[in-house]
Amino acid sequence: MGTALEQMHEIDPHTRAVRARAGVLMLILSDALSVVAIMAAGGYLSALNTLNQYRLPKEHPPAFWPGLLLSIVLLLSGLAYYGWARSMLRSRADERRFFLWLAFLLMVLVLAGQIWIGVTLGYEQPFDAYVSLVLLFTWYSAIHFLLAVVIGLLVLGRALRGRMAGALYLVTTSGYWWYYTVVASLVMWVFITLLR
Amino acid sequence: MTEVKHVNLFQRLFPSVISGILLGVIGAVAAAWLVAIWAPENYDAQVAAGYTAWALFFFIGIGAFNGVARWGIARRDATPTEELYLAGKDQGLWRYFRYTTDHKVVGMQYLATVLVMFFLGSMGAFMIRLEQSQPGAIFLNPSTYNTIVGMHGILMIAATIVMISGPFGNFVLPIMIGARDMAFPRLNALSYWLLFAAIPIFFSTLAFGGFPTGWTGYAPLAVQELTPGMDAYCFTIILFAISTTVAALNIVTTVLVFRARGMTWGRLPIFVWGVLFSVVLGLTAFPSFLMSQVMVVMDRVFQTSFFVASFGGSNWLYEHMFWFMGHPEVYVIALPAMAVAAEVTSVFARKPVFGYRMTIGSLAGISVLSVLVWGHHLYTSGSTAALNGPYMLDTELISIPTGVFFLGIIGTLWRGKIWMTVPLLFVAGMLVNFVVGGVTGIYLADLPTDEILHGGMFVTAHFHFTLVGSMVFGFFAGFYYWFPKMLGRRLNPALGRFHFWLFEIGFLGTFLALFYAGLQGEPRWSANVAPAYAVPNLIASLFAILIAASVFILVYNVVITLLRGERAIANEWGARTLEWMVPTPVPLENFEHLPEVKGLPYDYSPSSPNTDAIPVMVPATPHDYQPPESLKNDGGGGTIQETPLEN
Repeated sequence: MGTALEQMHEIDPHTRAVRARAGVLMLILSDALSVVAIMAAGGYLSALNTLNQYRLPKEHPPAFWPGLLLSIVLLLSGLAYYGWARSMLRSRADERRFFLWLAFLLMVLVLAGQIWIGVTLGYEQPFDAYVSLVLLFTWYSAIHFLLAVVIGLLVLGRALRGRMAGALYLVTTSGYWWYYTVVASLVMWVFITLLR
Repeated sequence: MTEVKHVNLFQRLFPSVISGILLGVIGAVAAAWLVAIWAPENYDAQVAAGYTAWALFFFIGIGAFNGVARWGIARRDATPTEELYLAGKDQGLWRYFRYTTDHKVVGMQYLATVLVMFFLGSMGAFMIRLEQSQPGAIFLNPSTYNTIVGMHGILMIAATIVMISGPFGNFVLPIMIGARDMAFPRLNALSYWLLFAAIPIFFSTLAFGGFPTGWTGYAPLAVQELTPGMDAYCFTIILFAISTTVAALNIVTTVLVFRARGMTWGRLPIFVWGVLFSVVLGLTAFPSFLMSQVMVVMDRVFQTSFFVASFGGSNWLYEHMFWFMGHPEVYVIALPAMAVAAEVTSVFARKPVFGYRMTIGSLAGISVLSVLVWGHHLYTSGSTAALNGPYMLDTELISIPTGVFFLGIIGTLWRGKIWMTVPLLFVAGMLVNFVVGGVTGIYLADLPTDEILHGGMFVTAHFHFTLVGSMVFGFFAGFYYWFPKMLGRRLNPALGRFHFWLFEIGFLGTFLALFYAGLQGEPRWSANVAPAYAVPNLIASLFAILIAASVFILVYNVVITLLRGERAIANEWGARTLEWMVPTPVPLENFEHLPEVKGLPYDYSPSSPNTDAIPVMVPATPHDYQPPESLKNDGGGGTIQETPLEN
């Protein structure tokens, strides 16, 4: 079929921006609900304390200081991204790419740190419900960091190719996910730290 | 006009579903083998690694990550020529086997997949009815019977969840709102291929010992089950949940951002509202289901104890997480089907939807209430009695907006110029069946009667009346209604009526008999029928033969229509919504110039300002509707040179 209708129409920049924003916000909503679901599960199991076996006396909480250090690095990664995004949006030019590099490298560091925390938790099988929750939150956070690293890699690649200045909405919408990763992971860390 | 990218045979084959399957299988075998070296005793870990690798490498093989890589690493974005190629231009039938982005291709892929799932699921149902046609074991042992019941259940549930928002939500919805494509065409393809990737995983359960839990996958049974067949269930659900989430965010964004000028919220077709509410509901309900399956996999593979009471876990946790999705899921299925019914009724009564805003309000009311009622599935699980009252009240409240919605359909039919086509016939069947399904639901919503009826055949009959008798009938209304637009051919109406009557009579006979068996006390989940319940089960099995016959009539009708069916015209039913204003087959980007909408698409009065656009398409009385010759042949009303499958 070869009619004049058979061609690709460009989507105007405003629509592209709104589309990207709506899509990412929806993704965040969905993921946030999964975080809420496992937090509710944690609270529920803790409250039930089935057969008094929810948490055995020998089980320690995850180490506090490495977690705190990781949270600070994570926060710095978010701030670095914010610094880059702000400069991009203000000057419409990629002047402070250092901040993007910094945000990305800090996120890689956080991912490596989270994996290290995960493999050195030191619990023994079979895991009780409390330890199960610690493992779930630890590795679920690691998956978030991994996703953020992949997104950071793509954004960095695009920026290095000089393809960001013409599509500033991508800076903003990628930022939504970046900030969400920071906030969600901090919330999960606080939750698992306080969970008894 | 955009130039089309020319490719050689190798580029046509790779990437495609062939390279996806090849790479996926190689990846799965390699991953399972590597894990077997590391953990030779942990079969669940091996199977889980295999499934994960299958999904990952399948998507690499089919080219799902090409667009992502280009987005981040390439020097430039895809050119219009490359986008056109990705959308399937000039690739004939082969585009259905590639990572094609055109929303109409994705809609057709969903339609074919849903029909295959229905066919396989109904074959499972006939095996169940055959086994239960007389007391004692006939040809299935209890374990196999349980697996078949579970496979039938989850296959049908998955198929019904996507049966409308998949095929029609992808093919029809963007055109209905005046858009050229979905908001995220690549994500659209991803949502379909995620569903596709889940299917081999699902059927692989047969090779790994099946699963005994039924469609709910209840823990701790799911955790205690020794065969790795249960892992197949979990991974199927995980992929399916991701697929529906991706589809949902795409549909919501499309409706939010891509509506044509003048397509205000107050002018959206009811169908669009129905799909929108459904996918928003799915977006909020599915995350907990997904996480519940992640927890089951962790319990099975890593010996965690989310659901193991001896280590502080709880089966109640699973029940809450499952039913937080499980009950809204009924409305994820119901809302689009109900919306199809309203759409079809308006077209064939030649009247506006009665109480348009009231109808939308009722859909919104159902959506909100449906996330508050999951606790009624735990009445008999031993949770605190203080929750029973609120859950009973919530559940009863849902019947109010539901009743209002069906009042709207009756109001639309009232004094309309009824054109009793096959789609409207299915709506009529839906109304009849929904009365039975709805009224019997009240007995299950009320704790005193539920205490007696739960876990019995009464429940089986009730949810089949709501899901099949109501919602699948709604799907078939949409199927017969939009088939001419999607496939460019007219289904044989006589065979369509035959399909309907066989299905309706068979369905009523089968499940009314099971209601009786349930009232007599027959439990569900029993492979062997006790002699006391032999007669109603025999009656149910005999009537099921009619349902089986109706399935084959449908298959015959579709095949014969595709082979030598009459070609459809652009506006087959004289409808007012935008999908009927574009030619058949629908061009690649739907509209040459985006339309501007001036009013609701339900005005069938002769003085309607829209009448000028299709003056001869709306007959004075629907009975004498004859499409004019000019519209059959020329390209003005509809281009009908070839079917969409061929273009």
